[in-house]
Amino acid sequence: MIKEKYVEKTSQLAVNIENNRVESVRRKDITKTAIRVYSENKLGVAGGLGKIDEEELTERAVKALDFNIQYPVEPTSDLEMNIVYHADFNDENEFVNEIEELLVEISKEQPDFIFSNKATLTTTENSIKNNLGLNLFHSGTSLNIGLIFKRKGSGNIFDGMVGYSGLKYDRKEFLKLTNEICEAFKNSIEEFNPGRYPVVFLQSDSIYLMKLYRDLHGLIFATGGSLLSGKIGQKLFDESFTLYQTRNHADGFYGSFFDLEGTVTPEFRYPLIENGILRSPYTNKKTAKLFNLPHTGAAGGEYDSVPDVAAYPFSLKESDKTLEELLEGRKGIFVLVASGGDFTPDGNFATPVQLPLLFDGKRFIGRLPELNISSNLFDMFGKDFIGVGKDNLTSLGPSRAVIMEMEVSKI
Amino acid sequence: MYKFPEGLYTDVRIEDVFQTSIQITMGRLDDVKEKSYRAAFIRLYDGKRWFYASTSDVDGIQGEIDALASMASKNENIEKDPIFKRLEVNEGEFLKFIGKDSVKEISLNEKIGLLKEYYPIIAHSEHVKLWRANYIDLNVKKSFYSSKGSNIVFDTQRVGMRIGFELSDGEKKFADRFDRGSNYFASLKGLEKEIETRFNKAVLFLKEAVDVKPGKYTVVLSPEAAGVFAHESFGHKSESDFMIGDESMKEEWKIGKKVGSEILSIVDDGNIMGTGYTPFDDEGTRAKETYLIKNGILAGRLHSAKTAAALKEELTGNARALNFEYEPIVRMTTTYIKGGDKSFEELISEIDEGVLIETLKHGSGMSTFTLAPSMAYMIRNGKVAEPVKISVVSGNVFETLNEIDGLTKDVKILEFALGGCGKFEQFPLPVGFGGPYVRVKSLNVR
Repeated sequence: MIKEKYVEKTSQLAVNIENNRVESVRRKDITKTAIRVYSENKLGVAGGLGKIDEEELTERAVKALDFNIQYPVEPTSDLEMNIVYHADFNDENEFVNEIEELLVEISKEQPDFIFSNKATLTTTENSIKNNLGLNLFHSGTSLNIGLIFKRKGSGNIFDGMVGYSGLKYDRKEFLKLTNEICEAFKNSIEEFNPGRYPVVFLQSDSIYLMKLYRDLHGLIFATGGSLLSGKIGQKLFDESFTLYQTRNHADGFYGSFFDLEGTVTPEFRYPLIENGILRSPYTNKKTAKLFNLPHTGAAGGEYDSVPDVAAYPFSLKESDKTLEELLEGRKGIFVLVASGGDFTPDGNFATPVQLPLLFDGKRFIGRLPELNISSNLFDMFGKDFIGVGKDNLTSLGPSRAVIMEMEVSKI
Repeated sequence: MYKFPEGLYTDVRIEDVFQTSIQITMGRLDDVKEKSYRAAFIRLYDGKRWFYASTSDVDGIQGEIDALASMASKNENIEKDPIFKRLEVNEGEFLKFIGKDSVKEISLNEKIGLLKEYYPIIAHSEHVKLWRANYIDLNVKKSFYSSKGSNIVFDTQRVGMRIGFELSDGEKKFADRFDRGSNYFASLKGLEKEIETRFNKAVLFLKEAVDVKPGKYTVVLSPEAAGVFAHESFGHKSESDFMIGDESMKEEWKIGKKVGSEILSIVDDGNIMGTGYTPFDDEGTRAKETYLIKNGILAGRLHSAKTAAALKEELTGNARALNFEYEPIVRMTTTYIKGGDKSFEELISEIDEGVLIETLKHGSGMSTFTLAPSMAYMIRNGKVAEPVKISVVSGNVFETLNEIDGLTKDVKILEFALGGCGKFEQFPLPVGFGGPYVRVKSLNVR
């Protein structure tokens, strides 16, 4: 019998911000442990919170084999890796003090706005070990500052957001970013003519990728429910469009470098679409084996689940041009807040953009009226795909943006 | 009992959780989980700042209280603090889901058997390419103790099943699901007819739906769509934490202001059974019925002790936390639109060309709200006509509230098995929502 132990430990300090000041501080320290046993192509799992009795968990996992859950895959073996990293802060008090000072400065520089939400300093530890020589350990501390802002007197719940997730912290840079966005917000541009425009998304925004997250799901793809089913090897998108499944820091991902089955991919990425050609949907071991698909290392689920296919973040390959070069002198519409849009089953896309900013590739110029944007999956990443800028929007860390041509009209 | 530090407010919420999840894909049992755990959340307030800790070590709660107290400043006048004064003190045991009503008493085999009874309804269709059936239950017993004297034990229970299916007819694709939530396992039985009806509608939609011609239409929202609209477009705006610190917002959102059509009333009530059932909130406040809009007039808003104190209003029982890892924040419970005076036939008979939104994928609500329909139909000459594919329906919240010009008599409160409401980091919180069929004069359909 093969036995595997998976542990997730989260220690977090969360600073809750309300009306430009620290309202509360929360500490969290939670350990979740699962034992998996593999026997005769079956898998049994048992999990527990906090202090656990490993023998008791193992007994429960063995008993779970009686459910007869088929899992005809080889567990990962003979692989040892250990990755540890830290954000700029290690000391919790230092983090709270810095957020307090940051808020004082933001309030002085942007007195017309109210800032709220959270700043967190989170350490996640993940480990997976089995008796086949698998021994992976990840421990990472990253910070997240996510501020929502509202202009005083606005009837909105919030008007926009500014934030950053990563390892590096630089107060001046964060203030610069906040000031750029708030100043653009204050510069209201009323005039807008409908038409085709370059639309700029933060690469990490998921709204424009929703359809690919769904239609590249290994099970949906393999069983024929995806628009992309049966099209592996076909050129479906523009030559410059390359899409990765990623667990790489360079793409702004700060979780574990392995998936729930202990799979590690080269450079912590896997190309699902390469130069416009569909290479693979995202898969875990079981789906890849059942449907004879490439295995991309996309096993996920709760710590005590039988691993299932799960979407890890997507990233796009950057071009060799800056955003300004990609725009070629045109003004783009930067999507700062777009909420609620979707794709039809045929791949037609539409969404309102609640906060669009006029953008010249380097700076945010002003706030446009609320807009509708629309396109189609195959156009967005095909003939209308302009590219991913090689430059970051802020020097704080990974913050690339992607541009594509879309139909745009005023709401 | 705990030794609560002097000069501070402290409360402890211990959660005894029992939960089950089962997943079957294409007839294969993929996952079965049944687990129990005990964990706690501790809050401490010194009159200036709140300090929180969440822990899975319930034996160490006193240690957590003491550690939080060491970060706070003792306040001799804590009892005069307006938040402290607002906090309710309740005592007693209020357990509803015990004995045969508890999901703990139902065997795993019976829960697996429930799914096995239903999936043959959809599994053999030539159009089904992938299907997946899920069962979940969650029984939470909460014990709440505060330094002000609260000592209550209460419970909530969520039970649900979902059968999701991916349909294909040549190049045509469509994904849909049957989803049902409840408080009791027994209510998930006998749903064969409803599942079959929903499935047949989805297959018809797959085969016959055409692209909608984008434009402005009169739109009829089903109880599901109306409930999501009420929740997303107005419910979130009624959560008072968004108002704190902004004087102009207080003026803008003055109780008594006309905000919608005279036929419109929206209510939030944690007493209603279903997935939003919240007999006490996570500050120990009893559930209350709160009119957010009454006959088009702004009538109330949702509060925690902190927001009620800041706005000098009464508690509503809406301070809720996702689970033991989080602090309570202002959230909805069961939010719904009150019924009107029309039948469904009367409601659509007055529409020459419009759209009926039957089911939804999701919705959102800022100043512009959105509804992303799953199944929708044209209305032509007062009758439901061809199915249409729509990416998104949107409108301005306040314009739309004023453009509601018809409601059916019957109200339906919906309960979903999976998913829930998201606010900041806390997702998915079980909520209930619903309403009658609601007619809106003009919405943007794309």
